[in-house]
Amino acid sequence: MSVAAIRQSNPACRQSVTRHRNIYIAAAASALLLLMLLPVIHWIFLDQTEALFEVMKLKASAIKKLDSSYSIFTFLAFVQDSKQGVLGLWSFILLLIAAAAAVFHIRSLVLFLLRNRTASKKGLLSMYSRLQSGMIFSLLLSAGTMGLVLFANSQYGMAGFRAGVPVYASAVISVIGYLASKRMEREERILCREHGFIEEVRRNWILFLFLVPCFVFFLINNYLPMAGVYFAFTQFNFRDSLFASPFVGFKNFEFLLHSEIVHLTANTILYNLVFIVVGNILQIIFAILISQVANKHLKKTSQTMIFMPYFVSYVILRVLVFNMFEYDVGLINNFMTSIGRTKIDFYNTPSYWPWIITLFYLWKNIGYGMVVYLATITGISSEYYEAAQIDGANIYQQIRYITVPLLKPTFIILLLYALGGIMKGQFELFYQLVGNNGTLFSTTDIFDTYVYRITTTQPLSMGLGTAAGLFQSLFGFIVIILTNFFIKRKNPEYALF
Amino acid sequence: MKIRDRSGRGFNIMKGILLAILSVLCVLPFIVIVSGSFTSNQEIIRNGFSLLPRGFTTEAYNTIFETPEDILQAYKMNFYYTAIGTALGLIIITLTAYVISRKEFKYRNKVSFLIYFTTIFGGGMIPWYLMYANVLNLRGTTLAIWFPALITPFLVILMRTFIVGAVPDAVVESAKIDGAGHWRIFWQIVLPVLGPGLATVGLFQALGYWNDWYRSSMFSTSSKTWSLQFYLYDLVNSTQAMRQMAQYANVNTADLPTQSVKLAMSVVATGPILILYPFVQRYFVSGITVGAVKG
Repeated sequence: MSVAAIRQSNPACRQSVTRHRNIYIAAAASALLLLMLLPVIHWIFLDQTEALFEVMKLKASAIKKLDSSYSIFTFLAFVQDSKQGVLGLWSFILLLIAAAAAVFHIRSLVLFLLRNRTASKKGLLSMYSRLQSGMIFSLLLSAGTMGLVLFANSQYGMAGFRAGVPVYASAVISVIGYLASKRMEREERILCREHGFIEEVRRNWILFLFLVPCFVFFLINNYLPMAGVYFAFTQFNFRDSLFASPFVGFKNFEFLLHSEIVHLTANTILYNLVFIVVGNILQIIFAILISQVANKHLKKTSQTMIFMPYFVSYVILRVLVFNMFEYDVGLINNFMTSIGRTKIDFYNTPSYWPWIITLFYLWKNIGYGMVVYLATITGISSEYYEAAQIDGANIYQQIRYITVPLLKPTFIILLLYALGGIMKGQFELFYQLVGNNGTLFSTTDIFDTYVYRITTTQPLSMGLGTAAGLFQSLFGFIVIILTNFFIKRKNPEYALF
Repeated sequence: MKIRDRSGRGFNIMKGILLAILSVLCVLPFIVIVSGSFTSNQEIIRNGFSLLPRGFTTEAYNTIFETPEDILQAYKMNFYYTAIGTALGLIIITLTAYVISRKEFKYRNKVSFLIYFTTIFGGGMIPWYLMYANVLNLRGTTLAIWFPALITPFLVILMRTFIVGAVPDAVVESAKIDGAGHWRIFWQIVLPVLGPGLATVGLFQALGYWNDWYRSSMFSTSSKTWSLQFYLYDLVNSTQAMRQMAQYANVNTADLPTQSVKLAMSVVATGPILILYPFVQRYFVSGITVGAVKG
């Protein structure tokens, strides 16, 4: 729908107030807050530095590196140079809040400048929600900075830290900006007949209730642990407790960059690409074949047999692979001896393992994907095939021109889900098949096994493990966001989100 | 209206051969395991593994159930984890899926994305572990073993897609006009038609719990809370380690669990979940429907 048509369909929104005084107040507040986030504006000041550095037990060489005031962005440098890990997590979180605030302020300012062109079905509501998010983050940042100062002062038992003027100014400006924007939003909601969050909760409170267990689960299991990426920037050890390990900046990442990261990334991505490509091709082929079986019993039996490996746990897979490839009593070497050939030492030859791992991945997963594709094929109307038969199309042509094109959406969705996990390996598969057999690592080590191994064998490498995990997570995240973006631009129907 | 042409016959033959080969390949390893478990250990050491049992014997199974306490404990724990994880998980997944399937729910796409987001970005293994072990102090409890796998994002989306397909909007709308709230709509209209979806998601959920060894390895402090697979893993691992040691020191390896015992253990550990499959299978094709994150 064009903008004009949208406005036509919702005439009230057309008149949405784009020139009210409150809009300018909110936008000005947003711009000011953004300016105050600039690194040249200092938020935290150090008083009585001599006494403070004595309490921190700093050497003269360390003191030389320190300043008397810091911005939100440089405070972590202070934490690192003065080796005060206790303040690390707190200042790290402030940095993230500052980044979030900056993003929201920039987005709302862009929307503000384009407000006459982008007003859509929902008027300027999206601009207001961005404005308010920015204000909330700015307020959080101010409160957090004051909290940090209080915390640090109580930690060292003296008034060594002081929040600067920008902290208080930010707090005041964000409150003003929030109120101005909220006021405008209320009018806009009435105008556009769009209800807000509270109204939605009032109407559908039972749906929100249904979501509570899910929300609690993901908070504990996924979202709260995300704060733990902080450990990637520390020399983690249990002696200094969870949140007081020394902050070391990007040292862990530098170490990874110099040692493992290239071959881990290459291994992980190559394995996954082979799994995705070969796996999907075989799944599609066998789904088509099995859909053509006319005999019901035969169809069911072969489907059951092909799906069975999916039920085997990886521990049992380990037993199985061991029994097949073991040197002395393994099935394959047994066969080799019986036909008079020499035995093969699989467990000491890395070059065999990519094949073995891929083979057993496929063995375990063909059945599952096959059923997914089969479900799609079952949903294709038989009229298509009947019409094609009347036109004289043979079976290959029917598959080529009807079945395969109609499998495309399923394929793309499965592909996107798979790409989202391209940096995650099949940890259990690799770990159970290879275990701690160091001779095979050159061809079988992926991120997940690397992290698991170094952290279970060397307790001091937790920071390093977290850094590897963070790199893995970010890399995979960027891959899927970009892929989805391009697919959405080409054909929104196929986009995953 | 079958067209009988040459290509059709050729296709039929090829189809039969390919499917037969794949089916056999998929089942073959099972046969190796089962037949190995019925072969005597001396026979395996002398002649290696083979496809059919040579000299049928149940000696391996007798060995396992001679001192059944450990394995029965692991079995009990496994049933406990599977039952509680599947039941609770299925309820939560279905409730969530119902909410994000409702068109009138304004934040459904945001909620779906928040759920999906956990699969593409995360703190990684170590912060996750520290959360349960050090922040919540759950090491050694059974809660730490079943809680972290309650919800799989992919299963939520699978269920959402299934609900969208199985429950037409018009039905829900007319129920609403008749004065039913979401509570009644969910229990009386939506839930009764979710059979295939519940069976499929439930099976995947149960399978995940039944086959888990990872969380036991992470959070267990005593063998009392071990899941069955971790018990088996420990058995296999310690056997291998001891055998390696035995090469250097002159240790008697006669008491170590034998090859055939390991295979018998594998049979015992896989059995129950495999028995479940035929009951669920007929729902499978209609139960597995994949859709995008946003609906």
